[in-house]
Amino acid sequence: MKSREQEYKEIFIAEALEYYDALNRHISVLEKNPQDDQALAETFRLLHNLKANAKAIGYLQISDVSHKLETAFSLIRSKELSFSQEVVAVLFDGIDLLGDLITNIDNDTYGEPDPVLMRNLDIIVDSLSDSTIELAKVQKYNTAKSLSLSDLIYIPIKKLDHMLNLVGELMIDRDRIISLSRELDNDELKNVSSHLYRITEDLQYSVMGARLVNIGSLFNKFPRIVRDIAIAENKEVNLVLEGQDIQIDRNILQIITDSLLHLVRNAVNHGIESAAERVKKGKPSTGQLSLIARNDRDNVIITLEDDGKGIDLKQVRDAAIERKLIMPDVAKALPDTEMLSFLFEPGFSLAKEVTEFSGRGVGLDVVKNAIDSMGGRISINSVKGKGTTFILQLPTSIAVKGALLFEVDNIFYAIPLIHTEQVVAITTDELHEVGEVMVADIKGETVTVVYLHELLNAEEADMRLGDKSKLKGQIQNIIVVSYNNRKLGLIVDKLYRQQDIVIKPLSKPLDTIDLYGGVTLLGTGKVCLVLDVPAITRFFITRR
Amino acid sequence: MSKQGKKETDSVILSQAESVASPALTDPKESPAPEAAKVSAITEMVHLIVFKLGAEDYAIKIDQIKEVTVTPSITRMPRTPGFVKGVANIRGDIIAIMNLEERFGIRQVAEQEGAGSGVTYTLVIEAKEYSIGVIVREMPQSLNLAVSKIDKTPAFLQDINVHENYIEGIAKVDNRLIIVLDMYRILTSDEISQLSV
Repeated sequence: MKSREQEYKEIFIAEALEYYDALNRHISVLEKNPQDDQALAETFRLLHNLKANAKAIGYLQISDVSHKLETAFSLIRSKELSFSQEVVAVLFDGIDLLGDLITNIDNDTYGEPDPVLMRNLDIIVDSLSDSTIELAKVQKYNTAKSLSLSDLIYIPIKKLDHMLNLVGELMIDRDRIISLSRELDNDELKNVSSHLYRITEDLQYSVMGARLVNIGSLFNKFPRIVRDIAIAENKEVNLVLEGQDIQIDRNILQIITDSLLHLVRNAVNHGIESAAERVKKGKPSTGQLSLIARNDRDNVIITLEDDGKGIDLKQVRDAAIERKLIMPDVAKALPDTEMLSFLFEPGFSLAKEVTEFSGRGVGLDVVKNAIDSMGGRISINSVKGKGTTFILQLPTSIAVKGALLFEVDNIFYAIPLIHTEQVVAITTDELHEVGEVMVADIKGETVTVVYLHELLNAEEADMRLGDKSKLKGQIQNIIVVSYNNRKLGLIVDKLYRQQDIVIKPLSKPLDTIDLYGGVTLLGTGKVCLVLDVPAITRFFITRR
Repeated sequence: MSKQGKKETDSVILSQAESVASPALTDPKESPAPEAAKVSAITEMVHLIVFKLGAEDYAIKIDQIKEVTVTPSITRMPRTPGFVKGVANIRGDIIAIMNLEERFGIRQVAEQEGAGSGVTYTLVIEAKEYSIGVIVREMPQSLNLAVSKIDKTPAFLQDINVHENYIEGIAKVDNRLIIVLDMYRILTSDEISQLSV
């Protein structure tokens, strides 16, 4: 991808120029006050970063000059080189040279750096302060410096948040205008509104694009973290990263940072076994941990996989029964995937010991809540003795989501597509009353089904979730949603279309009602409530 | 409930509401008679919006009110307390609509006079932390009043339930007793958290 490389390069240049400006500032301070340790340390840090960045992207001249300057400053710091007039002159020249190299990255005719200056740098670096070798005069080749401003700007994420909110409002109004233009059947208005549609769509994608960052900016922090935990735990772990250049909304990345850290720590602490134990089991002594990101339509999928000891289903089952989360006989029949979902229950932990890095009562429920909060999904697979895989399914953008619109009792609702599994229509005869609930066989799977009207609107005292006679009509439209590995069928009155919606969060005092993730305005101007699948599932479970 | 109100278009912003207020009065003895309060410019005045809940007159300071509009179509929100009527789209803002009669347990007066046109009004109130819409049955009136006419600490306030501290004071104007509400306290924090069923 050429554009991606181009983008890296632009970022490098912008950063490098900023470093260059800062270096000029600090060295000017140092010239007046050589004892300023802070300026010295800062200069040192900037040169070091510049060297590393330049080397990483392949600008060897820049990294070479930075290296020489860095060495010079380290000598000054250790008092082996004095900050004399001559030395200062050479250092200024060196920093100017850096600036020149950076601004001329794209200029093939720039040629080699001035050899005299390079030699001077070598002299002050190599021959220390007792040097008597003449520092050759460098002809001042930089007198007519032109000032330039960076091509990149930093924007506080808050400003982008505000812009995205405004775009959301605009889209809502746009849909309203389009629907009005159809009602009025005015050709000119239709033309204008379809143009408006295209522009707002472009605007939406530009603003969303401006908020995207590489997932690598988070992933690349993990090699060090994994190393540290592995050493503390005396384990051998090889971390594989993939898909660092997948892009995702910055705020979403922010929200999952702690969760991912928690999962990675868990994997090294409790997943991967010690080398000796692994060899005994016939596994390679080094444990494999992979953190992979990939795009899946509008979503980003992050997979964290280890080849450690896996999760003992029996232990989970016993713990769930012990904590009275499930009846023993039910537990026996529960599919493994559903059993594993108990790991996400608040306070549910299998960790027996607290280590420095994990097992402090912060459980997977916290991770799950974080993922839920932005409308993502998390699931877990594990085979005892083979390893554990966490799959995080995240929206690329917060504001705009694909959703399914439907109606219950004359109220419009939407459910984000990320939570819907499938939509089916079945006859009432295919629904069976089992205990207090209804179940149906949906594509070979027995799924609990609930009449949304009853769940939402019946008096709580006489809610009858298992009563088929409450249903209207012969054909029932069912939206199968999935939360925490559990499927739930929601019977709706009328099913509409699939549509991209802009979710407006509920403002105070309604923001504490967790049944609704927000509202959206339809093209008709009507308010549509966005159902929060995690909350509706929890609500169903408590009322069952 | 969700009948699409064409009326949305004839909602009135506050300044208009004020001018309409006096002529719209049906019962002359209910007139707030703002002229009666002498505009002596020295006495500190307060501008109230007066409305009826049940059989009593209530009032809110005008600076806590964003607008008065004919109640737009309200989308019910299942599983919220009864006094939350739902949400409405008021000029692009989604606002929670409340019925204060239900909130305060005020007995509703049977509607008979005026054949009950069915039109209700919504006061959009901006409190510190939230904005809410409050449904009232009659066109609210505006009233200018000397601050001194509001009795901030009538003795009986000590007698009633301590939770009901949303009453800021009692104003007495021409034999009328007006209960001045403190909108910042209309919802206690308990109630706000109670909203999350």
